[in-house]
Amino acid sequence: MTLFHFFNCAILTFGPHAVYYSATPLSEYDTLGTSVKAAVVYLATALVKLVCLATFLQVSETEVFDPYQMTKYGFQSQEALKAMIGFIDVAGLYFALAQLTHRNISQNHKFQAVGLGWAFADSVLHRLAPLWVGARGLEFTWDYVLQGLEANANLVFTISLAALGSLMWLRKNKPKTLIPIIYTCAVIIATMPSITSYLRRVMGWHFPKVVGFELMTSLVMAFISCQLFILCQRPSL
Amino acid sequence: MADEKKSKQRDGSMVFESMYPLLALMLILVACVDLCDAATVVDVYRLVQYDISGVPFGSRFSSLNHHAASLSFQRGADLSRSVLILPLRELDLGFLQDYISQKQSLGGLLILLPQTLRPGNIGGGSVLSETQGFRKLLAQLEKLLVHGNIPFPVYFAFENEETDAMLADVKKNDALGQQATATTGGYKLVISVSEPRKIASPTITNIQGWLPGSRAEGDSNQLPTIAIVASYDTFGAAPALSVGSDSNGSGVVALLEVARLFSTLYSNPKTRGRYNLLFALTSGGPYNYEGTQKWLKSLDQRMRESIDYAICLNSVGSWDNELLVHVSKPPDNAYIKQIFEGFSNVAEDLGFQVALKHKKINISNSRVAWEHEQFSRLRVTAATLSELPTPPELLESAGSLSDTRQLVHDDAIIKGVKLVAESLARHIYGHQRKDIKIFADDSSLAVNPFNVRSWLDLLSQTPRVAPFLSKSEPLIMALKKELEDYTAEVSVQHESLDGIFTFYDSTKASLNIYQVASVTFDLLLLLVLGSYLIVLFSFLVITTRGVDDLISLFRRPPSRKVKMV
Repeated sequence: MTLFHFFNCAILTFGPHAVYYSATPLSEYDTLGTSVKAAVVYLATALVKLVCLATFLQVSETEVFDPYQMTKYGFQSQEALKAMIGFIDVAGLYFALAQLTHRNISQNHKFQAVGLGWAFADSVLHRLAPLWVGARGLEFTWDYVLQGLEANANLVFTISLAALGSLMWLRKNKPKTLIPIIYTCAVIIATMPSITSYLRRVMGWHFPKVVGFELMTSLVMAFISCQLFILCQRPSL
Repeated sequence: MADEKKSKQRDGSMVFESMYPLLALMLILVACVDLCDAATVVDVYRLVQYDISGVPFGSRFSSLNHHAASLSFQRGADLSRSVLILPLRELDLGFLQDYISQKQSLGGLLILLPQTLRPGNIGGGSVLSETQGFRKLLAQLEKLLVHGNIPFPVYFAFENEETDAMLADVKKNDALGQQATATTGGYKLVISVSEPRKIASPTITNIQGWLPGSRAEGDSNQLPTIAIVASYDTFGAAPALSVGSDSNGSGVVALLEVARLFSTLYSNPKTRGRYNLLFALTSGGPYNYEGTQKWLKSLDQRMRESIDYAICLNSVGSWDNELLVHVSKPPDNAYIKQIFEGFSNVAEDLGFQVALKHKKINISNSRVAWEHEQFSRLRVTAATLSELPTPPELLESAGSLSDTRQLVHDDAIIKGVKLVAESLARHIYGHQRKDIKIFADDSSLAVNPFNVRSWLDLLSQTPRVAPFLSKSEPLIMALKKELEDYTAEVSVQHESLDGIFTFYDSTKASLNIYQVASVTFDLLLLLVLGSYLIVLFSFLVITTRGVDDLISLFRRPPSRKVKMV
């Protein structure tokens, strides 16, 4: 009955993306093209990121690469570097939002479509292979269910980031007082991978706890982004 | 513009088409990644499987794929699809006996042995007293399993943290009355091995070393020979665990040490005796000493007749005060008397006793209980030195699971070596009734306790069931080399183990322990996920389009395309 478990985990991992697409007006305006473009941009970004990681991240050749045994300073600098490289994601997202030409699509739908495509590509790239390899095994672990939940949190994060991005780059007449808040939230979401890896490695949190944290923060960030979006929309109305 | 676009598209589709084989290859590769990522893998050792004249004995199956169960389930439950885990500590032999005699079906049996019984585990004395009870129980268990025809796989494993944790979990579930099935989850035990095959032509290997004596000048008669023989192979419930430290590792060690002592004596022409010494390590001991018989028959007729007498060493590693000399000729026979007197004189000097035990040979019975009986059947005077008071039954006292290193005392073997070497030397040099010590402890001819210990340690870690030993097994090579060091001429004889025994392979396997989820759990998870997605869908529809849209979705489903997952 392991294929069943795989099926369950796949539903949990990829189902929300499909549901999001079909439930929101995205499906009515046929924004699939935008999502696909965003996914392609994600792939390109991932490639660039890999190249950057391979070029700049120093792995000491004398000892085995083990983040646990690194010196505190070394660990921090490496992590900072990783966070910097993580901002390449933001650049990719900017490119997808601002530079790609999207045929007659409203800003409202654009960021959702881009975020959805982005998150789906991320899920496929990061979670499909482990799922296929792992969840079909006889051994039962909660890991793949948690991984699916993480994918959900990631979807919310990505859409929030895309919303904030569209606020930052595409909307010109936004209230001045909100600008710092928007930027702060964007930075927090963009550094989320680094924060979770910090929690996991330095604080020694276990996977369930980390996933719970991610889910909580994703809901909070989604709420904040939503409010910001509504606040910015008001003057234009 | 349009043309360009079209051609671009065509290019794109061409590229896609060229990628198809690559894609297919990748898919196949991914599907082939077969997983063996069990949380726990445990080494397990299968119960021996053999036939005697076509009658099946032992465990008849090898592969296993069932849920785990413990003894704390309700009696009378159907266990035909579960693996029963029995730790030796809580073994209920009566239950198992009933189970086997009633021929009830069982998915499999996994017997957990305490770590102290692991071959090569050299524990202290406190451990020994703790394991004394286990050993008795284990001997009974082995008797039951080896002589039964068991229609399910039986494996032995050693307790460790993982198996303990699993057992505790399984017990908890069983106590709650949840039988391990597909619907309740639990642990799944998987051993994937091919069906056991017959071992085509098992060989037995005898190793013989020859230490010639020196003739007096002008004496053309052939020198008499004294043979020292020990059988080195074993037989036990689990062939891969059958190390037989006492039976007959101790005899082999004693023989090697005697050979070493006499090689020192014989290397000097002045102390070279008037007797040839013949050392033989024989195989096939558990099977009526078939190897001994073949070796004796293959010996040159003149050589065989020149054997004055033969001393067989069998289980001399765990006695305290009395060693037995088993003979098959009546005790008042002159030769027997002479041998026994030689032994008892030396034993008296060394401070222990030897006793004579006589057992007649029944020629019509095919059972050969002692190695010396093979000599006696060919009219060669022989005796077996052993601590065993009674002749062992077929396939018993030949290296059982409980026969491990802790049971054997180096001192006992050293005493045995001294007894044999001293009495041989007195016989060879004609000092029968004199109180002299040739192999005194502090002389250059002293018994070397390190040698004894290291050989005993080696033998206690090497399973030696003859049908599973190849002709060039490292152990056989090592024994041969050791004899080469001590004797002038070594020959190795390979014989096929014909006779009535048939053996089957696959003695060792890896047990994968999976913690599995039940079907019920999967169904429940599916239900939860489905409702989660439906709730999410409804929530999103309501927030983005309003409640009316949601209702209209359900009211006129055919008019609208709804993508539901």
